[in-house]
Amino acid sequence: MASIQTSILPKGYTRPDPSKASIAGPSTRRLLPVGPAFISHLRLTLKHQHSFEAHDAHAEKQRQKLEEFQNSFANGDDDLGVGEEPETEELLALDPKEWKKHDYYAVLGLSHLRYKATPDQIKIARKHHPDKKVTTTAPQSTSSLLAGVNLNTNDDAFFKCIAKAHEVLTNSEKRRQYDSVDHELMEFQEEDPNPNSFSKSKKELSDHEFFETFTPVFEREARFSKKTPVPTLGDIHASKEHVEGFYDFWYNFDSWRSFEWLDKEINEGSDNRDDKRYTEKKNKSERARRKKEDIARLRLLVDLTLSLDPRIKRIKQQEKEAREAKKAAKSAPPSGAATPLKSKAQEEEEKKKQEEVENAAKSDAKKAKAAAANAAKKARRAARAAEEGSVA
Amino acid sequence: MVSSTQNGSAKPAEEALNLPALVGINLGDSFASIAVLTKEGLAECIANEDGERQIACAISFFGEEMYIGSPAKAQLVKNAKNTIVGFRNLLGKKFSEIPQSQIPTSALIIQHPEIPDEPAYKVEILQPAPAPLPKSTTGTPAASSAPTPRSEPIPAERILTVSEVTTIFLKSLLQSAEDFLGKKVQGAVITVPSTFTDAQKEALENAATDAGIPVLQLSDESAATAAVTTTEIWGATLPSDRTQLIVDVGSSSLSLSLLAIREGLAHVLASSSSTSAGGTAIDSKLITFFANEFTKKTKTKLTVCSENPSTADARAEAKLRLAVEHTKRTISASSGAATCSVESLKDGLDFTGSINRLRFDMLVRPIYDSVVRAVVDLLESAKIDPHLVDEIVYVGGTTCLPGLDEHICLTGGFNEDINTPFSMGTVIGGGVGDPTTVLARGSALQAALIASLTGEDEDLRNAFERGSDLLQVKTTSKSLGLVFPDDSGNETGGTWIPLLPAETTLPARRTVTFDVGLSEKSKRLAFELWEVSEGIRVEKIKPEKGEAVDDDDDEEEEEEEIEAKHKTIVKEGLLGAAEAEAALGIKGISQSKAAGKWTTTVEATIIVAVSGAVDVSVREIGKGGIVATIKVSAP
Repeated sequence: MASIQTSILPKGYTRPDPSKASIAGPSTRRLLPVGPAFISHLRLTLKHQHSFEAHDAHAEKQRQKLEEFQNSFANGDDDLGVGEEPETEELLALDPKEWKKHDYYAVLGLSHLRYKATPDQIKIARKHHPDKKVTTTAPQSTSSLLAGVNLNTNDDAFFKCIAKAHEVLTNSEKRRQYDSVDHELMEFQEEDPNPNSFSKSKKELSDHEFFETFTPVFEREARFSKKTPVPTLGDIHASKEHVEGFYDFWYNFDSWRSFEWLDKEINEGSDNRDDKRYTEKKNKSERARRKKEDIARLRLLVDLTLSLDPRIKRIKQQEKEAREAKKAAKSAPPSGAATPLKSKAQEEEEKKKQEEVENAAKSDAKKAKAAAANAAKKARRAARAAEEGSVA
Repeated sequence: MVSSTQNGSAKPAEEALNLPALVGINLGDSFASIAVLTKEGLAECIANEDGERQIACAISFFGEEMYIGSPAKAQLVKNAKNTIVGFRNLLGKKFSEIPQSQIPTSALIIQHPEIPDEPAYKVEILQPAPAPLPKSTTGTPAASSAPTPRSEPIPAERILTVSEVTTIFLKSLLQSAEDFLGKKVQGAVITVPSTFTDAQKEALENAATDAGIPVLQLSDESAATAAVTTTEIWGATLPSDRTQLIVDVGSSSLSLSLLAIREGLAHVLASSSSTSAGGTAIDSKLITFFANEFTKKTKTKLTVCSENPSTADARAEAKLRLAVEHTKRTISASSGAATCSVESLKDGLDFTGSINRLRFDMLVRPIYDSVVRAVVDLLESAKIDPHLVDEIVYVGGTTCLPGLDEHICLTGGFNEDINTPFSMGTVIGGGVGDPTTVLARGSALQAALIASLTGEDEDLRNAFERGSDLLQVKTTSKSLGLVFPDDSGNETGGTWIPLLPAETTLPARRTVTFDVGLSEKSKRLAFELWEVSEGIRVEKIKPEKGEAVDDDDDEEEEEEEIEAKHKTIVKEGLLGAAEAEAALGIKGISQSKAAGKWTTTVEATIIVAVSGAVDVSVREIGKGGIVATIKVSAP
């Protein structure tokens, strides 16, 4: 901003007449032919006939040319959509000793891609040089003796963090383990819809709300599927086949998720074999417990979805209507005479029908639950088998 | 095939390969230096193969060998008659123009035996012996009964012209640069003193061409200095418009230039050169000092720097002259005492003496004084008050002496907070202000500038030819600026907004942005375009009577007045005035200093054409802002 500020013009100010018609005669000097300013002066004199407009136009053209030239370079160098993420102070202050707790995608500047990042993208993601010192986090010394001296002795910490992140994410097994317990995912899962929140007050969900709540949840869970493609929740107009296929898939969900990442560190330094075995055993049971919990969580989630799905009601309704239509077609009621006698007989019939529908729904739910229990059993068995296999 | 990477490759690093092979060469009378461009686009002084950044301009012949640089200088003691120094200043001169009265301490200058009126050096060398056996056409030596001829080299005399000596020396500099860069030099700029005549420049250019140097330009020393001092890295903290004094102390001469730097464009306001001061004179003072010290310590008479060559101890003097070089550098670099030691100075007696900075400054005070006198004379002749000089730049090894800087600043009448490389702390540690490398770096930057003119700008290179009339420009002789009148009653009658300083090359355009105060009722603003001259107001201040009287001895109370100088502006003439109603006034928000005051931000642009016509426009920043203009016709 401007640093000079003038005072207010006095009220009685009148414009004076000029006392001089022109500036004092210019003197002649000899320029020293040095510096870019001299070249600029030469151009102004020789090429633009002292016209600043022409000079500005030329400078603008040059600038554009340079920009184009630089852009041509930028296009040639494809970053595979990795982009540039800023290195926040928080990131730079990470302690490499706490590497297990880091968010590696954030460290590599890939937090917008996360589990979707391809190995190629990880390969070209954020590079750092060990000599690139992190001075932003260095404590500033107030002593004049130490002015300008970087007091941060741990200034290649961020470099170490990046190296660690690369190491984990480029190894497919380690990446699988890490992705299973990805930071972002764990945060989201805590906010997942659970039956308690819908049981009482918010029993009634509008169609829109239902899809808004559950679509992202299943999109997120889909990553753990061994089978691809994973069916999506779809929309309100989805076909019966789609809806059935969806619930069928999710009740038989085959997940690759595992919890090795959360293992307790085995004390490598200790010679005590018993100690090691004990920790290993503990870790193994812990993994199994977590896996079981995860399967139960998912099943609960699918149950909840099923119970709230507006399409299920619609399908039931349609089925019922179809049945009614069939019935009606079979025993075509004699028209005309029955109309005035409608009252009691009809009421009874309606009641019956309602009961029927309710019964059907109940049995459907029972069936579904049984299927779910079966699926869970199956999954448990599979998990056990897989674990045994991996142990063997 | 032998692997070339086993013991490291002889190829230079990739980075060095990508640098443009452009060099700047500073050829002084006693020392030379070479600079190349770095990848940051800056220039850096490089060392030759002996590790010297200051390469002594000396060539010595000893037997079959030829020495160049500091090894050659060392030969001044025992092989003086075959050692050539100080050849640069003789370039392009006729034999009859060279004064013969000097006492020879190096190879004698003689009249060339064949070329008339041409100075030359005669040195004794050993020629390699001829091939032991006569060549025969058949390839097999003819059988001979004679004994094999002797193979000792034959003593011979070699006559070298000054030009040939320069060529040999420049060739060695070129070799050093090419060894550093790893490729052939594509262009070079060589410095010449401003005192060089066209004939001398011609001779230097020819010698450089003979040495295989592709000369882009011979740059004046003041121009080479300006090439560094106008760069961003030099003047980041300095105003872009400033008056700069260049103090160049060489071995035997002192040259001063006063430059006006206006946004990177520099021109000389005044310059002078004299032989009244120089590094050699300082050497002589030191040698005499140490010789006296030696006599005091050993009771052995030692005559140095004597008028009578027959009584002088030439060898001892030569030894001391080499040794005090080191003493001077130590004095420049550290605040402690510097030593001077010579083995077997005279009669087999060793000498070690020391001198501290205070003693040294006292010793060479007469030389400092002559520098200051020259500075004062120059400023007087240019009619510029020392107070108006913004910056002093030093060039040459002698100016590394902090005592010289102090002396100039204190006794030259300069502003207290004048900028010098010492006050900016850029002298030590290879900073940008290092006086010993400024010239070489400047020439390297100059080489880069000329080499960058390619394609459509190729014709601009003509401006760098010697004596190009494109360098003749018109400049403003008075400063221009705006006055926004108010009732403050100060000498300018309002707020003074400087637009264009004096000595700005035409055509010129400047833009200044500032806030204009408005009254709440009327948004009227008015301004006047004035031509002013900058002056100095001398204020006499009586010093406050010191209460703490030091001692009992009743000194006479000195009622001396202290002169305090202030920069002032003297209005010379009103060129025009304009007024307008502001459209975009804003009220200062609370808490800020300007709370409740109405202001508007304006941008004043001045364009002065080559003819001298002035065009000032004041424009409110923002959409819908007003524009007020003043036009003044050409004189």
